[in-house]
Parts: sequence; structure tokens; C-alpha cells
Amino acid sequence: MTAFIPPRVPPRLRKPAWIAVAGVLFAAAWLVRGGPLWWVSIPALIAAPARAAYLYWGAGQDTDAGALAGSRPDERQQQLSLRSRALACNLAVIAAFIGLTAAIAVKATWWWPFLVILAIAGLGYLFGLLNYGVTEAGTPDGLDTSHQTRSPVSS
Amino acid sequence: MRNRVREQRTQRGLSQAELATAVGVSRQTVISIESGRYLPSLPLAFTIARFFDLTVDKMFDPDDEEAGT
Repeated sequence: MTAFIPPRVPPRLRKPAWIAVAGVLFAAAWLVRGGPLWWVSIPALIAAPARAAYLYWGAGQDTDAGALAGSRPDERQQQLSLRSRALACNLAVIAAFIGLTAAIAVKATWWWPFLVILAIAGLGYLFGLLNYGVTEAGTPDGLDTSHQTRSPVSS
Repeated sequence: MRNRVREQRTQRGLSQAELATAVGVSRQTVISIESGRYLPSLPLAFTIARFFDLTVDKMFDPDDEEAGT
């Protein structure tokens, strides 16, 4: 049995492809929803490839934004992206907290989506701590207890 | 943190784009390093220093306020 090998997407195409796929899904959601607003799917379907094409063009530029759009960032650009995403996540969490507090205060029934966002953010943070090595801090002064032998003078 | 990247690069007649290609980063990152706005990682600092046949402490000096200006 041959293993499935996913096709390798060129770096410059990756983000535009995601944007295009997301746009098509968004347009499809409006179409499936139906009703008087089904036509929203048409501009959404037009905007998705337009946005993807713009991103593809931007990915060819010799700028920091171009390197990020083209999925070819160096270490400084990766750091820029990471810090920007961290800021965006912080703002989203603050907004979700404000939304949750306001929803509770006015006795609204739409409080739970805010709680879901906060829970995902919290769990994601904990997962990040575990995944990126907070448990690998080691022992003080570099002592590795896993290889420690029993002292011949201890009882 | 001062560095001698610009000084070494101009001495060798290299453009920022040529240095960026040689050490595997973007031109914008070379500009940021030269102006002191970005401190490179240790591997990149070694790569840059080796490219100019210098040691890291000769290229990047936390106490040297004059070099690289």
C-alpha cells in the first residue's frame, strides 16, 4: 500500500490558497443559509479570489509584509508575526471578556460564545506552555536526578 | 548593543541585499541589524561573524558604544 503524499504547495501560494478556500466556504455558507440574503454569497465569492490574487501579488514584494504573505519569513519577520499574533490574541481575549461581562450584566442569552472563546484561548495557552517546553526546565545547577546513583554512605 | 556589520559590509563593497542573500535573511533584516533595531539570534550572529571572518564578540559588542556608528 502506498502512503498518501500530499502535494507540496509553493510557499507563495500557501496563504492566497487558504484565503481563497476560506472565502469559498464563507460564500457557500451564505448560499446554504438561503433566504433573502443568499445573494451575499456572490460578492463573497468574487472577493475571495480577488483578495487571494492581491495577497499573491503582495507576496512577491521585497518587504516584510511580502515575506510573511509569501510564507518565507526570516527570524526577525517570524518574530514580528509572532508578536503581532500574540497582540491580536490578547485583544480578542479582552474583547471576549468584555462581551461576556456585558452579556451577563444584561441577562442576555448570548453569553456562551464569549465563554467558548475565552476557554479556547486559555486551553491554547496551557497547551502552548506544555508543547513548547515549560516542563523541560531541568533541575537547579544542571543536576540530573534521573542519573543520580544512590550514595554509598547514605542509609 | 553596537555592531560592526555596516562597517564590515561597506569595507568589502557589499550591498545590503548581497549580504542578506549570503547570510540567508531578508534585506530588511540586515537594515534592522545595522541600525541596531534588531538583535540577531545566536546562530545568525555566528553566521554573520563567520561571513566576515570575525568572532562574534568582535562583531557584536555590548560595551562598545562607538563601533558601528
